[in-house]
This record gives sequence, structure tokens and C-alpha cells, in this order.
Amino acid sequence: MGELRIAVQSLKMSVQARMQYRVDTLVASIAVFVRESANIIVIYLALLKFDAINGWNVNEMLFLFSILFLTYAVVVSLFADLRDFSRMIREGRFDRLLVRPRGLLLQLILNNADVIASVGHGTLGILLFLLSAGRVGIEWNPVTILYYLCAIIGGVLMQGGIFIICSALSFYFVETGSIRSIFYWDMRRFAGYPISIYNKLIQTLLMYVVPFAFVNYFPAQFFLRKPDMAGYNEAYIYIAPLVGVFVYLLAYLFWRVSVRRYYSTGN
Amino acid sequence: MRAYLEIAVRKFQDKMAYRLDFFMGIVNTAITIVVYLCIYRALYAGASEVDGITYRMVATNFVITLGLSNAFGYNEMFLQDKVHDGSITNEFLKPVSFTLRLLAENVGEGAFKLIFHFLPALLFTLLHTRLCPPKSALHLLAMLGSVALGYLILWLLSFIIQTWSFWLFSVWGIITIKNVLVSILAGTLLPMWFMPAALRRVIACTPFESIYFTPVRIYLGELDGAQLLSGVAVQTAWIAVLGLAAWIFWRRGVKKLVVQGG
Amino acid sequence: METMIAVEGARKYYRVAKRGKGLTAAVGQLFNRKYEIKKAVDDISFSIKRGEIVGFIGPNGAGKSTTIKMLSGILYPDAGRVEADGFIPYKQRKQYVKNIGVVFGQKSQLNWDLPLIESFELMKFIYRIPREQYEKNLRQFCELLDMESFLGQPVRQLSLGQRMRGDIVAALLHSPELVFLDEPTIGLDVVAKEKIREFIRYMNKERNTTIIFTTHDMQDIEKVCNRLIIIDKGKKIYDGSIEEIKDRYTNVKTIEVLLENGGKETETFDVRRTSVNAVLERIFAERRVKDISVCEPEIDEIIRDIYEGRLRLDAPSAEGGAL
Repeated sequence: MGELRIAVQSLKMSVQARMQYRVDTLVASIAVFVRESANIIVIYLALLKFDAINGWNVNEMLFLFSILFLTYAVVVSLFADLRDFSRMIREGRFDRLLVRPRGLLLQLILNNADVIASVGHGTLGILLFLLSAGRVGIEWNPVTILYYLCAIIGGVLMQGGIFIICSALSFYFVETGSIRSIFYWDMRRFAGYPISIYNKLIQTLLMYVVPFAFVNYFPAQFFLRKPDMAGYNEAYIYIAPLVGVFVYLLAYLFWRVSVRRYYSTGN
Repeated sequence: MRAYLEIAVRKFQDKMAYRLDFFMGIVNTAITIVVYLCIYRALYAGASEVDGITYRMVATNFVITLGLSNAFGYNEMFLQDKVHDGSITNEFLKPVSFTLRLLAENVGEGAFKLIFHFLPALLFTLLHTRLCPPKSALHLLAMLGSVALGYLILWLLSFIIQTWSFWLFSVWGIITIKNVLVSILAGTLLPMWFMPAALRRVIACTPFESIYFTPVRIYLGELDGAQLLSGVAVQTAWIAVLGLAAWIFWRRGVKKLVVQGG
Repeated sequence: METMIAVEGARKYYRVAKRGKGLTAAVGQLFNRKYEIKKAVDDISFSIKRGEIVGFIGPNGAGKSTTIKMLSGILYPDAGRVEADGFIPYKQRKQYVKNIGVVFGQKSQLNWDLPLIESFELMKFIYRIPREQYEKNLRQFCELLDMESFLGQPVRQLSLGQRMRGDIVAALLHSPELVFLDEPTIGLDVVAKEKIREFIRYMNKERNTTIIFTTHDMQDIEKVCNRLIIIDKGKKIYDGSIEEIKDRYTNVKTIEVLLENGGKETETFDVRRTSVNAVLERIFAERRVKDISVCEPEIDEIIRDIYEGRLRLDAPSAEGGAL
């Protein structure tokens, strides 16, 4: 398992490198934690005033959010280089991967982990999960646990797939920062709320274009069964983890086609 | 003055070289507006008003606030990067003041975003949502003045923290936390009206209320006559306080740099 | 000897966006963009045999890096054929790069915050280097490059020369038979340069490694390679030995004049075209001379004159330099 050894060595290097700056790592992790908490605090304050949003109370909202943070913590420990891919191209560091006898995506995924973001998001995700899971009436049994794990894996693959697609776009456009900010960061922010509150356009985006709804909204509905689920096909709940696999495969194919362009243009 | 105007205009042009960013910036702003209006509508759940505040006032507050916070988004790590790579010392050799140059660049970038991202997105919003008109032309004018003051407060807050990079290894964490405070306490996401009473009393003692909320209230006519003047006076007072603090930090930082040679 | 690299009529053009001046031009560019073609590599051919050391030189932007990129499989040519080690580099990437090593002098592949050894370990896994081979190479390279003293230090604390040695080792641990070094001596002090040159010679002699490198430093070329390729504006303008280039210019002399007012001037000319007499007469007529010396130009002066168009390689003659 050569790949596993690369992964272990890379992760070890990422962590060791961060440990060179202990104080800064701690401060930055806390800053990420606080930054991400801002949305939670705003929802908490808003629901002090308004009680519920489309029937979802505070705890249910926190559960919905916790899935976003937990999946992202895994995503940045794997896909950090793909998240920052346009910078990698600009600085010419991608050339280096081309002269190594390994798959390009494999190297990108194994290479770097964003330790700070992973710790910040992961801590918040676990905290929100612990705060909310007990209060929203989930009954944990082998089936629900299995579904939950599949949903997390699917969510990670979906987001990884989006990063791969955005990275592949760097082979066509000089600046992809704005595409990334709309198709990833904005959509992720919107997914913090039950998608049923949005108009048709935004719902379509979140279900069929950048299917974040399958990362947290439909999986959450598996456990919560809120009345707003009536507006959607029941099957969405069960296919949610598969959507991630599908997006990832699609992203992989798109990457394969696009990377050829790099050979002709360079940076 | 001409030199700084020139700097602002050049930054404005630089931004225009990125075509895709330009069009996506508009889409980005428009989508954000749509989404937040959906969220507020869901929170209102059909009620015509909450605590005397109508949905339309909330929408107006959000749109104005978003426009301003968009205009403010620029690279806040600029000074730190200059300190780290040592190029800050070159800046002192140039005939223009570094701080004013920075302000001019940021204003240029902000003006670009206001005109080319926010304005088209605003027109798009007006197609499907009715916002409150300004109370009068005079209020609109007063609001524009107040916006400039609000911008300065935000800029000074950011600049003060940026100057700490003369002493700290990285100010990224503190800047992030500052931005969190601004986004919550200045009412960017949840309008000031709906904050818990205790929290609002605290906010009233900080510069955060003067950033977006004072201009919004002037626009809506919530602040009128003497209240309007006192609102602007509070803004000015904060600029004086923050400006003084910024000046002290900057001078000390530069002195430290000169003494220790970076 | 067997051919290692064959390049025939390789060409690489880039499209570069034009940027106009002024606000109206900036607005116009949002909707309608104009491009111009830059010929990075324009119809270059050469072949290199196994075991050769070849130096590429040329001014900035001449096409050296683009050529190296085509050879290492990072770019494919718009036209022409590039073959190396029996592969078409960009088509059989994974197969091909197993057996090559690449150093980009300006872009380190080492982890900035960790000791060199950690980056080396990563290479071991990436290239699937057998343990004995890895340890043997590491020991040998470290000794040759004198690296034991700083192996344990974080890379960010190393000097540029130490870092470059680390980069070279990282790229060669898997014993590649073909090595590309893109400006491996850029910005280094004399001692570090000498260490690296020695190492390159060793790798070539003892292991029969084929080495291709680019540089701006003529000393690198004189001390290390047996063959020189000069590229300018995307075209190959010279391909041969250094001795040959020097021979062609033995007729070129440089006169250095020390003036009475403390000034110093030089004049380069070809003795077959301009007589020494004429030059000296002119100098004595125009200047008050304190001292005078005649010398053969250094190889870098010749090269500089070639770039600047004062010497032409096709005809063995030279115009007088400007005094």
C-alpha cells in the first residue's frame, strides 16, 4: 500500500509543520472556530426573537449545521490543495506534481492537510452534534448509525467533487476565485438553512447544480421528518449518500478531460 | 491629493482587468440578496410586522448593509505581508504617505465593487422586491455622508489591527475575530432591531452601531433632526478616538521597525 | 552511443492578452479582449546522447524553461516531435518520469518548516524507492554535498545554497538516468556553486547520468559541460562545444583603456576586419591614456555580445564595440 504510506507521511508533515508554530496554530484554530460560530450565534439570536424558521427550532437548526462542519473538517484534511488550486497553478507548484510518477489527483489529495481549518470546523461540528443530537429525538441503532456514516462520507465526496470541478476550471480560466465563491462558499452558507425556505431558483441550485441539499438537508430529514419534507420526493433521503459518489465520479471525469489543457498552455 | 486620487483610480482599473470576477461578482451579490430575503421572509412567516418593523424595512436594511460591507472587503493582510517580507521599508522612501495610499487603494477597490457589483445587483433586486424609499432627498444626502463616516470607522478598526503586525507573528486570527464581531454586532446578518435588549445596550457603547446602522436609520427617517445630528456626532467622535489610536499604534510600530531594522 | 533525447522542429506558441491604457480601454476589455502571439520556442531541433552533459543558455524569456518543460513532459509541443528515454514525455507521463529527475532552481519542493529528511522520506514513498537504494543514495549524496551538518534543521533556516543542495538530492534519490536542472546555481555563493558543479560532474561520470541544465553563469558551462546550446528568441543559435566557440573568437580582442581622468573604457573588435593600428590611433587621438591592455574576451563577454547582436555566430566576424 504505497498510497497509504504517502498519506501517513504527508499528514505527519502537515501536523509537524503546524506544530512549529504552536501559539499561532492555536490562535488561528480558535479564530476559525469563532468565525464559523458567527452564523450559529446569528441563528440563535434570530430564533430568540422568532422561535422557529419554517418549523425548525434551534436544536434542529444546530443539527442541520453540525453535518456541514463535520464533513468540511474531513474535506479540508483531504482536499486542501484542491481548494487552493488556483494559487498552486499561479505559483507554478503544479509542475512539480507532473514530474512525479503518481496520479495527479492522488498527489493533490494526499499532499496537504489544512490542520487549522480541520481542527476549527471539526471541534465546532462535534460540539454542535453533542448539543443537538440528544435534543432532537434521534434513536441511535445500527441502521441509523450506518445511514449517518454513509451520509457523512457522501457529503465529503460531494464537496471534494465540487473542489475538483472548480480546480479543473483553472485550466480554462485565469481567475476562478469568483466561481469558487459562488459555487462552493455561497452554496455552503445557504445550506445552513432548510432549503424549503428558498424560492425555486435557489432550491434548484442546491438540489441539482451544487447538490448541497444532499449533504445535510435530506440526511437531517432522515432523522427529523419535519413537515416541510412533504414538498420533496421521499427517495431523496435514501439516495443522498449516493449523490456524493455520483458528483465525485463526474468531477473525476471532468478533471481527466481538463487536465490535458494544462499540457498545452502551462501557467 | 491628486496623487491619492490617481492611486484610487489605478486600483479601480486593476480590478477591471479580471473579466470573469467582474460578472461573477454581480451574480454573487444578487444571489446573496435573494437568499437573505428568503431567510427573512421565512422568519416573518407571513406576519406583516414584528415589533413595529416591517419586512420591507428589514430588506432595505440588509441591502444597504450588504452594499457597504461588500465595498469594504479588501485584503486586510496587506500590511502584515509588507512587514514580513521587509518591503515596508521601501514604502517609506516613496513621496506619498503610506497610510493615505492604503486608504486610497481601498477606497478605489470599494468604489469598483459598489459601482460594478452592488449597483447591478441592486437593480436586479428592485425587479422582484420593493424596498423602502429614502424619507426625503435630504435624508438620502445625509445618509451618503454618514456612509462615508461609517466606512472610515471600519477602515480605522481594520488598520489598527493591521498595525499590530509590527509586534505579532500573525494578525490573521485577530482580524478574523474582528470581522466576526463586525458581522454580528454591526447588524450585518441579524438587523439591530431584533437584537436582545441587553445586547443592544452594550452595542450602543461600541463603534459597531455607527458603522451601518446609523446610515440605515437616517435613510429610513428613523433618525431625524436633532437625533440625526447626534448620530453623526457619535460617528465623528468614534473616528476621532479610533484615528488617534491608529496614529499612536502606527507611529510606535514604525519606530520599532526603524530601531530594530525589521 | 545511444540517443537519449531527440527533438525535431519543436514549437510552442503562447497567446498573451494585451492590456490597453486608460479607463475606457479597461472597460472595453471587459467585453472584447485582444491577444498577441508569443513564440516561446520556434522550431528547435537537437539530439542528446546517453551520458552527455549539456548546458542550455540564453537571455531571460529566450525559451530555455519552455524547452525543459517540453522535455520533462509538463508541456507538449504545438508542432514537431519530442522524444526522451524512448518515451513521448507528455503522453506516457507516469512511465517516463519514473526515470527522470527535475530540479526547478526557483521553486523548491522541500517542506519549508521541516528538516530535509522529512521531504526525502516522502520522496522514498512517492518514487517507491527500495530501502537499501534510498539509504545508499542518501548517505552518498550527503557526503558528496557536505550536508550532514544541516540535515536536522528546518529548511526555512537554511541558506539558499544549502536549500538548493537539498532540492537536488530530493530530485535524485530515485537514481534517475536523465536529469533536468533548471538554474540550479541561481543566486548561490561561489562555494555552493562549486559543490553543486562537482556533484553534477560526479553523477555524470560515475553513474553515466545524462544531465541537461540551464544557467546564466558561464562558469557553470565551462566547468561542467562538454556541450553548449544557446537559445535566443525561441530559436537555437548555437550547438557545439565551448572550445569551438572560443576558437571562433580568438580573433576577437578587447582593448581596455585606463584614462588619465580615472575613467575606464573597453573596445572589442575583430583583428581580421579592423587593424589594431587603426583602433589604437583613434584611441590615442581622442583620449589622454594612462594605461592600456589587450586581452581575449571572457566567454561570458562573447555570449553577451551574441545576445546583444554585436557578434553573429553564422559568420566568424565581429563589428567593433562602441567606445
